[in-house]
Amino acid sequence: MTKSEPTLPLTPAVFHILLALFGKERHGYDIMQQVRADSGDAVKMGPGTLYGSLDRMIEAGLVAKGNTRDPRRIYYRLTALGQTTLRAETERLSRVARVARRQLGSA
Amino acid sequence: MTSPARLKQSRSLRLYARLLELYPPSFLQRHRAEMLQNFADLEDAAASKTALWLLIGKDLAMSLTSDFFGSRLGHYVIAVLVTWILIFPIGYFFYGPTPGRPALHAFAGFLPGMLAMYVATRLYGTPQTSISHFFRSRFDIYVIGVFVACILLFVSGYYFYGPTRGHPALQVFGGFLLGMLAMHIATHVYGMP
Repeated sequence: MTKSEPTLPLTPAVFHILLALFGKERHGYDIMQQVRADSGDAVKMGPGTLYGSLDRMIEAGLVAKGNTRDPRRIYYRLTALGQTTLRAETERLSRVARVARRQLGSA
Repeated sequence: MTSPARLKQSRSLRLYARLLELYPPSFLQRHRAEMLQNFADLEDAAASKTALWLLIGKDLAMSLTSDFFGSRLGHYVIAVLVTWILIFPIGYFFYGPTPGRPALHAFAGFLPGMLAMYVATRLYGTPQTSISHFFRSRFDIYVIGVFVACILLFVSGYYFYGPTRGHPALQVFGGFLLGMLAMHIATHVYGMP
């Protein structure tokens, strides 16, 4: 089911996939490598987790399939809702980080 | 990109292709080719086979578990587990800490029994309903193989430990068969995820 409003918070896997797809279409292996690089090796995603998440994200309208000529290399891209959701989640995480820094600084 | 010839050669890739059968058919229809290609790419880039299989093992366990427990069959299994957890303290309360702890032994057999039947159904499809087709499907052969292995284990256990009170091996064996039966019924009632 496609929604028009972003649902937050996102799981780390969904957030990193959205981030990896921002500004560029990527295929599955490329997404896994980008997620790994973006997270500083903290998030190592395998194919099962990646495609399970992508299926749910396509259903939610966050991601769409691009090139499907080669079934081994299907490209995925962000939708407008995906971009809005990524921005909203980034803003939410920034607010959380600000609060955490303030509390840690006052401790 | 890895060539089709390369895809045929790797033993790891063939094993991974077999393990992919644990995913629902609809999921594989959409992603099998991509997942095999990704595995081949990961294998090419991996520092060692151990590192590769650790990543793949964790990925399979996490994604399959998450899919399974989100399905109706998964909810059934959770209900069974909760029932067992409730039954066990009742048995413990009535019979106390007996040396055999039959409920625990049967439970120890029940869970692998359910898992074995689930894996068999996923890999080999549903069993033949007609008795005339018995022994003809890979599923039936698998179930009979598991049955024979259980009997051998039971006989070995009996031989080594003798007719101890409570017969733990028999309780585990009984639990295993019950688990297989419970999962068999559940897959027919709720369908595979």
